[in-house]
Amino acid sequence: MTRAENPRHIGARVLRFEDVRLLSGAARYLDDITRPNMLHMSMVRAQVAHATILGIDSSALADAGFPTQVFTADDLGSLSIKAHQDYPQMQYSEQPILASGKMRFVGEPVAAVLADDPYKAEDASELVFVDYDPLPVVGTMDQARDASLPTLFDGWKSNVIVEREMKGGDLDKARAEAAHIIRRTYSTQRQAGVPMEGRGVVAEYNPADRVLTVWSSTQFPHIVRTCLSEVLNWPESRLRVIAPDVGGGFGVKGQVYPEEILVPWLAVKTGRPVKWVEDRREHLMASIHARDHRHVLEAYVSAEGRLLGLKADVTVDNGAYSTYPFTSAGEPGMVGKVLPGPYDFQAYHAVYRAVATNKCSIGTYRGVARPSAVFSQERLMDDIAEELGLDPIEFRLKNIIREFPYKNVLGFSYDKGSYAESLEKMRELLAADRTEAEASKVSTTRRVGVGIACFIEQTAHGTPDFIRRRVPIETGYIAARVEMEPDGQAIVDLGMQNHGQGLETTMAQVAADALGIDPKDVFVRHGDTLMTPYSVGTWGSRGAALGGGAVHTAATQLADKLRAIAAHLLQAKAEDIVLGGGKASLKADAGRFVEIRKLARIALRNADQMPEGMTPGLEASFSQDGPADGTYSNAVHAAVVEIDVPTGKMKLRRFVVVEDCGVVLNPMIADGQVRGGVVQGIGSAMLEHFVYDAECQPLTTSFADYLMPQAPEIPNIEVHHIVTPTSLTPLGAKGMGEGGAIGPAAAIANAVADALDVQVTSTPLNGNAVWRLSAALRGE
Amino acid sequence: MTDITLEVNGTEKSLAVEPRRLLADVLRHEFGLSGVHIGCAHGACGCCTVHIDGVPKLSCLTFAVQCEGKAIATVESVGGPNAEHALQQAFKSEHGLQCGYCTPGFVMALIPFVEAMTSQRRMPEDDEIREAMSGNICRCTGYHGIVAAVRKAIGDQIAGGSNRS
Repeated sequence: MTRAENPRHIGARVLRFEDVRLLSGAARYLDDITRPNMLHMSMVRAQVAHATILGIDSSALADAGFPTQVFTADDLGSLSIKAHQDYPQMQYSEQPILASGKMRFVGEPVAAVLADDPYKAEDASELVFVDYDPLPVVGTMDQARDASLPTLFDGWKSNVIVEREMKGGDLDKARAEAAHIIRRTYSTQRQAGVPMEGRGVVAEYNPADRVLTVWSSTQFPHIVRTCLSEVLNWPESRLRVIAPDVGGGFGVKGQVYPEEILVPWLAVKTGRPVKWVEDRREHLMASIHARDHRHVLEAYVSAEGRLLGLKADVTVDNGAYSTYPFTSAGEPGMVGKVLPGPYDFQAYHAVYRAVATNKCSIGTYRGVARPSAVFSQERLMDDIAEELGLDPIEFRLKNIIREFPYKNVLGFSYDKGSYAESLEKMRELLAADRTEAEASKVSTTRRVGVGIACFIEQTAHGTPDFIRRRVPIETGYIAARVEMEPDGQAIVDLGMQNHGQGLETTMAQVAADALGIDPKDVFVRHGDTLMTPYSVGTWGSRGAALGGGAVHTAATQLADKLRAIAAHLLQAKAEDIVLGGGKASLKADAGRFVEIRKLARIALRNADQMPEGMTPGLEASFSQDGPADGTYSNAVHAAVVEIDVPTGKMKLRRFVVVEDCGVVLNPMIADGQVRGGVVQGIGSAMLEHFVYDAECQPLTTSFADYLMPQAPEIPNIEVHHIVTPTSLTPLGAKGMGEGGAIGPAAAIANAVADALDVQVTSTPLNGNAVWRLSAALRGE
Repeated sequence: MTDITLEVNGTEKSLAVEPRRLLADVLRHEFGLSGVHIGCAHGACGCCTVHIDGVPKLSCLTFAVQCEGKAIATVESVGGPNAEHALQQAFKSEHGLQCGYCTPGFVMALIPFVEAMTSQRRMPEDDEIREAMSGNICRCTGYHGIVAAVRKAIGDQIAGGSNRS
């Protein structure tokens, strides 16, 4: 693999090109899209969690006083989203675009009402009456395994959607040799990514060219296009999906939702553009939820404190439907895959399952199961250290992987990282806090605790990883097309979507280094299937590693052509030409050069001046797939908490990150990604929780109930980098978009356990939880 | 429908609106001000913050008819198309934004705070800065860059002695 030669821009703190439009109000998000003669859609949603639909009466709409149209499952025929993995152990289900026959969770779309004004559409949707017969509710993981309750889908044997296993090594031997067996049950609550912009869709059909254009607030326009094509049986060539400015995604906008099928279908059906914009209540009820895990772990440890083996039983409360394209098997499967973590042991057996309940469906959210897996893994490491009387950092260092590449117990190959070094660095950074925490143990009123989480993250995994999983996403590559215009300006058409990651800047940095021009002379375009090459979109921590790799490789191909033309003009060899500062110069004599813009003009306008036989044009494309096992980033997170025992009030005093994501394209943006992820993780640890009552009515459908992290309770986040470049991606970059969100729940829980000398087995560690955990210290 | 006259970003306009129309919707659709973003529509996230007679207010909790005769300012008026206000510039240099959806609301909520600190020639503590943005939610940045942006804007303006960069 080629690395960027003489990088000038990669690694620099380049300020973001996208900021001006975002700061000035000129950005165009989904709700800023309007089309002439547009209809507005409002959804009628299920108000009960589980029921048979007896009928839908929309006769009251005749008296609404304005024109309306209403559509139900009967109008849609068999349109549905199919998100199945071809495992014998997985029960088949489909998600109807509008509830058909049954309603399976509160918030499920049941009918669509159209009017020419969004306020009127909402008025009208309240006039639609859904008659139903309630069914017993399947509300918890335990109820999902209760055979006396009905299955969510006809023909199912039980509400266990999928149950599989992963194993490696000899677990019986590990158990037999163990001096200590530590068994714990850990759980992490239901929460979600909750971007500040909700979802929304606009669609318009143009009969002149038979192109159906769909604007969606999505992270992956090409995947939406493929799913739409399959569900509507519409040629992909005549589908254009545009993701405009997108106000945050975090994985939530990395699923295809019923509304993304329904709105285009309605645009075709009615012959008018149709728009739907989700409100916050709909978002919290019926966009995807995440996490909601229970892990039963059993660790086998030698007398010397070496981890010999791990047994895991993993359950995810999936909610009602399997989401496209990662499915119900994705979340628990990820736990099974990642639990071995950064530790050296060679016996493992995980059984994992997803169960169906009458709740909103589980989907991907930053970290995808890893925040829950790392919570359990790292709580377990502290619990083992406690039982063995070992220092938690020393215990980890005793078991940490130090030799690379490392073949883990499941056969995954870890590329080089800085696992031990990160732990040692964190030990130094925490020395004073740990001393203070120890000293506070004498107090029964004010305790300080320090907790760490050490983890790795498989990132940028390539097609083989998805083939192994037999998952509808099928592949993981990112494509880029780089072209230069006659004036020497470059365009990068990128198959990813930029919704905060700064790709319009970092990808310009990458292209500029290869092309020898300034990043401001590179226009990065994205989010529109009409002008960008097919790609899987922005998710799975693959922007820098694979997006950057695709841009680098395509731009390098273009640069080779520029060098060849320059060599011809300068009567030199192409390998003696170097591009930089807008010039193609001789390596040995910088005074001899041709301006790159002149080379561009020759290639595109004055082809007669090109070397004989060379074809005109300056365009190159490259599709960058990921390595089969991905490339592994690593990090250690640490939290320092202070707990006021009489009130149970906890203050997060300090949060420190030591992380290694290989080569960093732009340190400002990398730090921003880490810090933003960490604060989401703090939300997971301390605040955010989707609560359902016994009838599966959601109780947290506003920001008054669903608590997002706000500035006053969040400390500044300290970030330290160690750089171990990978040889598996063109730029040496590993993925880093998700890592920030993975460690905080574990680190904070370990800090609470340290502060209070208690076992912590679940999140969120909100005020109530910390109050309960500190009861013993209050003598209760 | 009710006839109202609003002064928006310095320009007066009369229009007829339903009494129930939110100020946010009227600014977005009748005035074409796409910098007004709706994040929750229940007054909890601050995305829709605008100035009404110079005071930050939530345009999702305000009906347009309540603003008869009032002067309203949105982010579009703050630093022009190049976002040249010192606070906007500091958001850029300190990486105080990622997806940008909450950003106009933060800018509008924090401008009076920045101006007050600048006029007192006082650099606030981080806790005060964080308290000043406690009505706004940002999901991307973790607030770190926004705190830094506020410090930078105040510092630059104290040093430069002007309200605009």
